[in-house]
Amino acid sequence: MKLLAATNRYYLLLAALLFSLGSGLLYFGVLWALQGEVEERLFQQRDYLRAQVQRTGRLPGTPFEGRMQLSATPQPEGLRDVQLLEPLENELEPYRQLTFRLQLDGRPQWVSLSKALLETGHVQRLILLLLAGVLGTLLLSMVLLNRWLARRLWTPFKHTLHQLRGYDVRQHQVLRLPDTHIEEFAQLNHTLTHLSERVAADYAMLKEFTENAAHETRTPLAIMQAKLEQLLQLPDLPAPAGPLIADLYAAVQRLARLHQGLTLLSKIENQQFAAAVPVPLAGLLREKLAQLEDFMDQKQLRLDVQLSAEPVLPLHPALADSLLTNLLHNAIRHNQPGGLLRVRLSATELVVSNTGAALAAGQQPAQFFERFRKQNAASDSPGLGLSIVQSIAAFYGFEVRYGYAADQALHTLRVVF
Amino acid sequence: MKLLIVEDEPTLRSSLVEYLVQDGYVVEAAANYAQAHEKIKLYQYDCVLLDLTLPDGNGLDVVRTLKADRSPAGVLIISARGALDDRVLGLELGADDYLAKPFHLSELSARLKAIIRRRQFQGQRHLLFQELTVFPDQAQVLVHGEPVALTRKEYDLLLYLLTHPGRVLTKESIAEHVWGDAADAADSFDFLYTHLKNLRRKLQDKGCGDYIRSVYGVGYKLSVE
Repeated sequence: MKLLAATNRYYLLLAALLFSLGSGLLYFGVLWALQGEVEERLFQQRDYLRAQVQRTGRLPGTPFEGRMQLSATPQPEGLRDVQLLEPLENELEPYRQLTFRLQLDGRPQWVSLSKALLETGHVQRLILLLLAGVLGTLLLSMVLLNRWLARRLWTPFKHTLHQLRGYDVRQHQVLRLPDTHIEEFAQLNHTLTHLSERVAADYAMLKEFTENAAHETRTPLAIMQAKLEQLLQLPDLPAPAGPLIADLYAAVQRLARLHQGLTLLSKIENQQFAAAVPVPLAGLLREKLAQLEDFMDQKQLRLDVQLSAEPVLPLHPALADSLLTNLLHNAIRHNQPGGLLRVRLSATELVVSNTGAALAAGQQPAQFFERFRKQNAASDSPGLGLSIVQSIAAFYGFEVRYGYAADQALHTLRVVF
Repeated sequence: MKLLIVEDEPTLRSSLVEYLVQDGYVVEAAANYAQAHEKIKLYQYDCVLLDLTLPDGNGLDVVRTLKADRSPAGVLIISARGALDDRVLGLELGADDYLAKPFHLSELSARLKAIIRRRQFQGQRHLLFQELTVFPDQAQVLVHGEPVALTRKEYDLLLYLLTHPGRVLTKESIAEHVWGDAADAADSFDFLYTHLKNLRRKLQDKGCGDYIRSVYGVGYKLSVE
């Protein structure tokens, strides 16, 4: 829910409550006041009648405004509400009636004075109408004002949000947030600007460190590799030393490959592969498959290739190469001897499927894309293949989907262009 | 054959010098840009091995100087900067090949030999080992003067071994030399054994001695012993 809608909801709730409470109070208040007025008039008329009767001994001739009834039989004295027939309109109308006793010609008489409450009903309706009008207008204008204010006052906040949404620390940019005269927003902007500066500085430092480390590790690796190779050439090298050195050598190789993979990943993330040329994927795929023929033969894989289209995509040649290489290597490495390798290329997607180890229960396919995630911990592959695939795909806006068919333990990677 | 090695890292430089001297080259070394510049101005080399990141300058400038002087020397760049741009720029400037650190010494020496072979038309155009003769330009293999039909990979394997007679070649370096990055697709080096077995059989069928020795746990070597 939007902040404005939320606050408006509370405003409306409170206003509705106050409105009903207020109109009730007003209604009863006005009713009470009008009734009091009517009663006071009735009392005045009674006193006047009493005074006249005392002075003259009989009732005055001119009838009062309203009605007067005389009765010889005793009536309950005091005030009450009655319905009396209005002769002109021929319908019952509410009246307030005051009954009291008078000594007329030595005999007691009960006088009932009645006064119409009709006018008060009109007044009530008018008051209610007015009240509703005023309150309604107030409410409506409040909502409109709020909406307008929100649009006006929250503009800097929305601007900040927009900026934040487009913020990417890898772009080496610092957030540029405008000054605003609303203190809270100014504070928010200030804090965010400060935060982004710190993040950008940390990121730059980390990146520089990674780059330097990457660069600086290459030379020691080269030294290690060269010295081990020289060691292997020594004429009087004891026989058991050979495999030991060879293991060391293999470890250095692994380190070098890992290094290569990580450098590639960080380069993709730093967007250092901007240049793109049209790459015919089908041709590249055929070339790669031909290069890998020996390894597929070694595992006696059944190769099933269908290139039903010849899509030409704008890619960086090195990344296109790396994408296909990693997909195919992955499918061969994790395949079983005598297994199946299926490659499908259409205008919209590249699908590589391979038979392999069954997916263990609870294994999340998303994990395969994590760095250093290996199905087989003993494997000497650095486990970067699929994260490189995903990085390249993300760089070009492709979608990578993983599928698994349990019946034939078939793992499928689908790259949707 | 005279080589100049330009490398600022002393331990790596000494390894390179030692390995290449054993290969029979006359080797000189330079530790920085100034020394390298002086040497290429004073002497003629058949090939220059060049590290790009030097403490006092850019190795690419050495390539520029060589090309400006119309030097016949071949140039092999060895760089810790794996950047694609460096590779492209180096080759565009006229370097013959580019090798990123870390590298196999045997791979370096194979590339060096390929550069020298390409550049020296008056030089030896074939490789000899006992009854084996290989003409790299025609990709032809002869045993006792009789041609042997080999697959592309078998030929590459043989040529790599022939380039390093008597040297132990690790499985990694052989696989990388012959199959390149594709070798990563294999989960073992069994394929190497298969291909070498076929190569041996084809050579022996033509009456060639079995000179390909397996070095336990390490790799292979070409030797008469």
